[in-house]
Amino acid sequence: MDLLYFLDLSQSIIDGVLFGAIYSLIGIGFTLIFGVMHKINLSYAAASIGAAYLSLLVVSAVPAPLVYVAAAIMGGVLGWLVYLICFRFLPLDNPLASLMSTVGMLLAIEELISHVTRGMPLNFPALFASTNIELGQYFIRGDLLFVFVLGCVAMVALMQLLKRTRLGLATRAVAQQPVAAQLCGMSVNTTNASTFVIAGFLGGTAGAMAGAAIGVLSPLMTLPLTVKGLVVTVIGGLGSIPGAIVAGLIVGGVENLFQFLRGVSERDIYVMLMLFVFLVFRPGGLFSAPGGRD
Amino acid sequence: MIRGHQLAGATLAATIALTLSTAAFAQEKTFKIYGFGAKSGVVGIFGQQSEVAMQAAAAMINKTGGVTLGDGSKAKLVVEYLDDRCTAEEGINALRRIAAQNDAVVAVGPTCSNVAEPVFGVLQKKVGDASDSGLQFPLYTDVAAKGGLAAMSQWAFRNVPSEANMYKSIFEWVKTTRPDLQTFWGGVEKDFAHSNATFNVIKAQAGNTGLQVLGQSEWLLNDINFSNQVREMKRANADLVAISAHPFTTCGVLKEMARQNVKPKMLIGLTSSSSMETLQGCAAQAEGLIIPTSFAPVTDEARNAAAAVQALNPKYNMDLHNAAAFENIFTLKELIEKQKIMGRPDTVQADRQKMRDGLAAMKQTTGLLGKVGRTEDREAIKPFLFVQAKGGNWTVAHTPAQ
Repeated sequence: MDLLYFLDLSQSIIDGVLFGAIYSLIGIGFTLIFGVMHKINLSYAAASIGAAYLSLLVVSAVPAPLVYVAAAIMGGVLGWLVYLICFRFLPLDNPLASLMSTVGMLLAIEELISHVTRGMPLNFPALFASTNIELGQYFIRGDLLFVFVLGCVAMVALMQLLKRTRLGLATRAVAQQPVAAQLCGMSVNTTNASTFVIAGFLGGTAGAMAGAAIGVLSPLMTLPLTVKGLVVTVIGGLGSIPGAIVAGLIVGGVENLFQFLRGVSERDIYVMLMLFVFLVFRPGGLFSAPGGRD
Repeated sequence: MIRGHQLAGATLAATIALTLSTAAFAQEKTFKIYGFGAKSGVVGIFGQQSEVAMQAAAAMINKTGGVTLGDGSKAKLVVEYLDDRCTAEEGINALRRIAAQNDAVVAVGPTCSNVAEPVFGVLQKKVGDASDSGLQFPLYTDVAAKGGLAAMSQWAFRNVPSEANMYKSIFEWVKTTRPDLQTFWGGVEKDFAHSNATFNVIKAQAGNTGLQVLGQSEWLLNDINFSNQVREMKRANADLVAISAHPFTTCGVLKEMARQNVKPKMLIGLTSSSSMETLQGCAAQAEGLIIPTSFAPVTDEARNAAAAVQALNPKYNMDLHNAAAFENIFTLKELIEKQKIMGRPDTVQADRQKMRDGLAAMKQTTGLLGKVGRTEDREAIKPFLFVQAKGGNWTVAHTPAQ
């Protein structure tokens, strides 16, 4: 192995891990909703990209950082709408009902984006796009580093929210024993809706970050982010926020490593193989809870 | 009283005029031309643009009286466009639905090569072959650009540019005007039929003109991270980089090239990226990108056609793909008249045969940039030119002698 090969190999892993921060943010949203409602919201990544698109409505009126704030807010609004349409009035004891409704929502959002933008890729403003850190032979993208830090901040903030606020207490209570929580005066519907809004905030941010990392937004982004988000959620452990963060970085790194080693046509095989390995040998994921829900 | 009589007379006259005009309107004949392609989904822009171009062409024809049918009567052209979402199954379904109509004589489409291939596969391969139960329905394709597809069936005709000729010409031009360019690196969207097939053409032509092919980077249609691919490109440090990909990943790669400071002396792109999508997504990074195309508003006809599309729907514009759809409507109008197509339910099968024979007999058609030649295997030889991205617009870089 010559030096250049080693440099490229390690740079691939670094790039992948940093890019994995986007997967982490998407994974957090999936896992948060699963943790509370024990349901998978398949439209989450599509809504995240949708929020990033909506934030472009203010792109000419406000400075770039506020576009990201707008994306987060729109993510929250879309999260609430998804909850209302796909969960609120559906029989939640039927696991297929919400699964199919969110698949429908995923397709509807993708189609809506395609219709409104006529499928055209749209420029998305990048934060720290020209800030690249060069460490010897290594090159670290400032924007991806920012996403990585943001993912960590989001994780800490979420943990604090869940542990130290009344909303967090209610969320955990509803997640563990919805009937008991209701008997104690907590509104299950309000708590669920709040979870979707919080996950939506994160999703909007993730959508904006993905747009910034690539430089353009396209409806083509919804499906790969959905698949990667689900893989991250399973590998990290369903319902585990630190798990989603770590798994996102691992999936990003593995994906780029195999892109480097085996090329684009084999890359995803190895990512899926990793998923199967986890499903067989550690079905609870990296950070599975030691016991049951209670 | 007099006023009352006048009013009654005027009312009677208006009623008679209205009745007559309504009767005339009810008797107005129409001739339907079907189209199908991706109208929704992530590449829905292709079908939407084609539909608008077909409607614009039909409106221009209708303004001058419409089309003359085989019995001498006049009919207005009507366009009906079906959506196949760029999937093979829905493309075949769309074709079967069209062929089941008793007013369907010909269809324009599809837009995606991965749909055209299976769709042409369900057509009868050889005309008159009684042992082949394939559909006997003429198709005149406007967008699907993968090379050589019309050879699959004698009912399939295309009006798409020959990318082999285009890229041969562009590399010959490069060799003549830029002898300093010695090395070539390619980038290809590996999972899209058109991009992949055209990349093989590009690479072969680059090698044929003496450029040293150093290698290629590969990615997928919906990839979002291009760091490895661009690093390979950077290491190769080629003089000329050609990207065979559609606008979304072309822009993703160009932006990553800017980040990693990869600046080849010349950039060449895929025909399909010579559209506003690329400039909308990454005008700054695409600056200098050169693409061969079979449409640019450089003739009066092309300018008028582009204006007609804009007038019909300002959201859309004319590019190399829907320019072909526009041309097809005019060609079909000529053939309806020349082949004496009747346009009646009882003559539909005979009309389809006549239309196919007319399409097969064409030696030349009239295109927006000039005369379009026809080949023995039912493909087009279209005039083309090279456009370059400059300041957020496509400008003509060179018009090769043809």
